[in-house]
Amino acid sequence: MPSATLLGQALISGVLAGGMYGLLALGLSLSWGLLRLVNLSHFALAFLAAYLTYELGTTYHVAPWWAAAMIVPVMFLIGLAQHWLFDRFKVNELASLLITFSFAVILEVAIQLYWTADYRRFETHYSTMSIKVGGFYIPVLELVLCMVAGLLAWGTWLWLRKTYVGKALRAAAEDADIAAAYGVDHKKLAYLLSGMGAAYAAIAGTFIALIATLAPTQIWAWLGVVFAVVIIGRLGNPLGALLAGMLIGASESIAMAVFEPAWAPVVSFSVLIAILLWDPEWL
Amino acid sequence: MADLLSVENLSAGYGRAVVLFDVAFRLGEGEALAVLGRNGVGKTTLLDTLVGVTRRFTGSIALAGREVGTLAPEMRAVLGVGWVPQERNIFRSLSVEENLTAVARPGPWTIERVFGLFPRLKERAQQSGGSLSGGEQQMLAIGRALATNPRLLLLDEPTEGLAPIIVQELLGALTRLLREEKLAAIIVEQHAQKILPITQRALILERGRIVHQSDSAALLADPAPLERFLGVTGR
Repeated sequence: MPSATLLGQALISGVLAGGMYGLLALGLSLSWGLLRLVNLSHFALAFLAAYLTYELGTTYHVAPWWAAAMIVPVMFLIGLAQHWLFDRFKVNELASLLITFSFAVILEVAIQLYWTADYRRFETHYSTMSIKVGGFYIPVLELVLCMVAGLLAWGTWLWLRKTYVGKALRAAAEDADIAAAYGVDHKKLAYLLSGMGAAYAAIAGTFIALIATLAPTQIWAWLGVVFAVVIIGRLGNPLGALLAGMLIGASESIAMAVFEPAWAPVVSFSVLIAILLWDPEWL
Repeated sequence: MADLLSVENLSAGYGRAVVLFDVAFRLGEGEALAVLGRNGVGKTTLLDTLVGVTRRFTGSIALAGREVGTLAPEMRAVLGVGWVPQERNIFRSLSVEENLTAVARPGPWTIERVFGLFPRLKERAQQSGGSLSGGEQQMLAIGRALATNPRLLLLDEPTEGLAPIIVQELLGALTRLLREEKLAAIIVEQHAQKILPITQRALILERGRIVHQSDSAALLADPAPLERFLGVTGR
């Protein structure tokens, strides 16, 4: 059995790493839960944003936060364009899975054509920085990621709960025809949400560029885990997505410390299956 | 002065099936119309066609002089068509209050006034819509339509399947809406005796066509058409 210090460190690292799962899950959860579109290209868009952040940073020496300020609005527009296609061809839940999978493959190939299949690393002086609190190391970058993810998740949750637009979106997600008959213009709202989802992918992408090593095939690396996170967090619930991300991150990290690293991939789906079997009221 | 609602030569249905044939009627401001008829004669189709969720084949629907028959449901809602569907279709995952605020539009009917009309809804404001009883769901469905501040309220069998005591409460609220608030309304109902006293006009549908139109009072005084088309005495 590992020491308490090791377990504590594993817990902290896991929760912080889980922030990335949560951040990636956020946009996916919104489009799946509120638009009934399962957007697999979310991961490819995040990686496109990551590569753009990398390119701007290494070739043009643009700081990642300025890069994000440029990429996020562009991604919002890409989200709108993507929804125009969904709307134009009346794409349903199942078809969206297939179509966005092909989008993702196309993006993967495009990324590979431009940036090649080589591994890329965006080195910054703060990428390895950490602060020491009571004997535990806390990586600064992942702490910032978690704060950004927390603010986004909380802000989006409040927006869905408190604003007219948010409530109308939830009403339309439950019954689009009835909502329309009460004057809810759910088409416009769907565009807004789709743009937001892509913008969230871009924000996740900026952090991926700073934290991870980039390769085109890595697009698929987080797919399984983030799917589990979206479902555990409840579709369409941004705070749930973040908390589920942290839960899975912590479980993986502790499993790695107690057993061995090879166990980590088993954890997310074991937790998912356990929770589905438990069938708690909030799911 | 133009009528609030003027329906001419209206034929409508679902897919290729025509359910309503050549329907025509008018409704003045502040008037309430009872739509009577047996099961399956097209009463719900008539309301659904006014809302815009059926297929319209011919004819026109003018709301306050403006043609709305070609508009999408959301546009008609904005122009003042308020709908209480037969299945109620409240948003089950939203709270009672959110059901109202998600669709609310500015006007005399504030959320507080809806709660004033249905105090039970205020007690349950934070509960999810799905947790309400049938009667409470019906109150919420009516309240939700009121929150859109409609010029014309469409009610589809508002008392169907509810306990007698709840029916009394709902009819009391409807009476207040129609008599005191002078809200224009069309009420579909199988039981004529419940709504003839609170409406001014009545029409009877039979196999998709209007077979009788008159003042509600006249129908109450001489229930022969009710006996003929509904097989009841109207008492």
